[in-house]
This record gives sequence, structure tokens and C-alpha cells, in this order.
Amino acid sequence: MTDHRWTPRENDVTDALRAHYAPPADEGYWEALEARILAHVARGGDGDGWWSALAGMARPALAAAAILVLVAGAAVVHTRQLDARNAYASVISAAPPSIESSARLSSTPDGDATINYILSH
Amino acid sequence: MAMLATTTLQSPSMLAPVDGDGAATERAIVVAAQRGSDDAFAALVRLHQRRSYSVVRAIVLSHEDAEDAVQEGFLHAHRALDRFRPDQPFGAWLYRIMANAALDLVRRRKVRDADELPDNVAIPFRDPAESGELRERLQEALTHLTDRQRAVIVLHDVEGFTHGEIGRTLGIPEGTARSDLHHARATLRRLLQNIRSTS
Repeated sequence: MTDHRWTPRENDVTDALRAHYAPPADEGYWEALEARILAHVARGGDGDGWWSALAGMARPALAAAAILVLVAGAAVVHTRQLDARNAYASVISAAPPSIESSARLSSTPDGDATINYILSH
Repeated sequence: MAMLATTTLQSPSMLAPVDGDGAATERAIVVAAQRGSDDAFAALVRLHQRRSYSVVRAIVLSHEDAEDAVQEGFLHAHRALDRFRPDQPFGAWLYRIMANAALDLVRRRKVRDADELPDNVAIPFRDPAESGELRERLQEALTHLTDRQRAVIVLHDVEGFTHGEIGRTLGIPEGTARSDLHHARATLRRLLQNIRSTS
């Protein structure tokens, strides 16, 4: 394959290409660019992209997420403790007569009950 | 280090290692930069920023983008400096990084501008007698090349890179660089034919 080489008549295209892509000739420009490059390197980049913004937000976001997890965990534990306490309280309030009184009732002879009934009437 | 920072190196070839004392001096600067010397890195910037600009300018579409790409390229090079082997030509390593930074910037620009610019920019008719017509038409014609074709023709015809150097810089086979050059020239020839035949 040839390179489609430019003919001598087409040298003007190459000249136009060179003119279009010519780097700045001013020495001051390069000194300024060098300073700009070194400052950019020292900063570690511009940090103006969305990824940089996200990276900048990552640390506080992680801290906030950790706090949220802790708060949510504490809330869950507290809720469970409340539930357990309520369940226990409901069991206590609905408890049947004590064993002692039940035993006393069950130990009363039938004859005593009859006498008590007659006396009350 | 001040002496190193003010040393100027000239290389007859764009990517070939600097010869003789120049190569040894550059190697010393690279090693010093790898050890953390800011002055040495500044010297590398001074030595290579013009060629780096030319490499990225061949890939991006504007001078402003070329400046941004050079900055990013040097930032990447600084971060990767400890992985560079000083026995290799520093220029070839650096310009590959520059080319990647420029290609990355072009990709980001395309994503950003996808809704703003059509894929193909039509060449409007203008009076060929207009001053600077060839230059303006050339600028428009360059937008009809692929990014890689544009980079190849500029690196070859403007910067004087060989096909092999272009391949190493852009990370493509030498034959692909040769083929891209062929198609780029054919496209420019076709698009510029009218104006050139009438001027």
C-alpha cells in the first residue's frame, strides 16, 4: 500500500497542516505552561470532574453512613428491648391466681364450703 | 539539581533515546525524579513539554484541550514514575502516556458534546478566493477523519514521526499506522480537491 504521498503540487496541504498545528513560539508561553503543569501535579489534579466531586464526598458520606448504621442498630436494639419488656409485662398482668391461693382454695374441704353457704344465708 | 534542571537536551529523532551524554544526563534526571526530587521532575517537564504538546495536539481538536491533556499526561507520568525503568527511552514512555491522556480527553469531550454536535460536520460552501481558504477548509476537512487518522497524519506529516514511532505512541501496529495515513491523505485529498484546483 502506498501512503498516498503528497505530490509537489500538494505541498500547500502539508504547509497548511504545519501552520494549523504549529506550537506556540513564545518562550514565555512555555514557561507559563511549565508552571501550570507543575502546579497541577502538586495539587494532584484539578478535581473538577464528577468523579473527583464524588471522591471528595466519599469520606463524609462514609462517616454519615456509619453514623446512620449505628443509630439504626441502636434503635433496633431499643425496640427489641421494649417489645420484650411489654411482652413480659403483659404476661405478668394476665397471670392466673397465685399458686398459694389456688392451693388454699383447693385444700378447703367440701364440708366447710357447705357450712359457709348455710351461714351466709 | 539546579544544574540538571537547566540542562537542555536535543534529540534528532522524536522518540529515539537521547544520544551520548544527553541520554546519561536524562537518565540521571529521571532517577532523581524517581527518588522524589521536584527539581528533577520540573527538568523533565521543561525537556519534554513541547514535544508532549505536539503529540497531544495531533489527537485533540483544540489548543486548549492540548494544554489540558499535557497537564493530565504529566500528572499520570508523575504518579507512574516509580514504575518506569530508566534503561528504557523516557520519551517513548512519556509520549505514550501523553497520547493516552489525549485520547481519554477526546472520549470525555465526545460524551459531553454528544447532544451538542452532529457526528459529521458538513463543509459549507465558501468563495475559494477568500483569504486563508485552504487553511479553513483544511480545519473542516480534518473533522472528517477519525481521531486516529488525524493523529497519524499529523504525527507523520507535521511532527516527522516514523510509522513505528507512531505505532508505539498510539499503541497500534505499525501497519495500522501506515493504513491510517493512507486513508487520511486520501480523504483530505478528496475534500480539498475543489479548492486546490481553483486556487
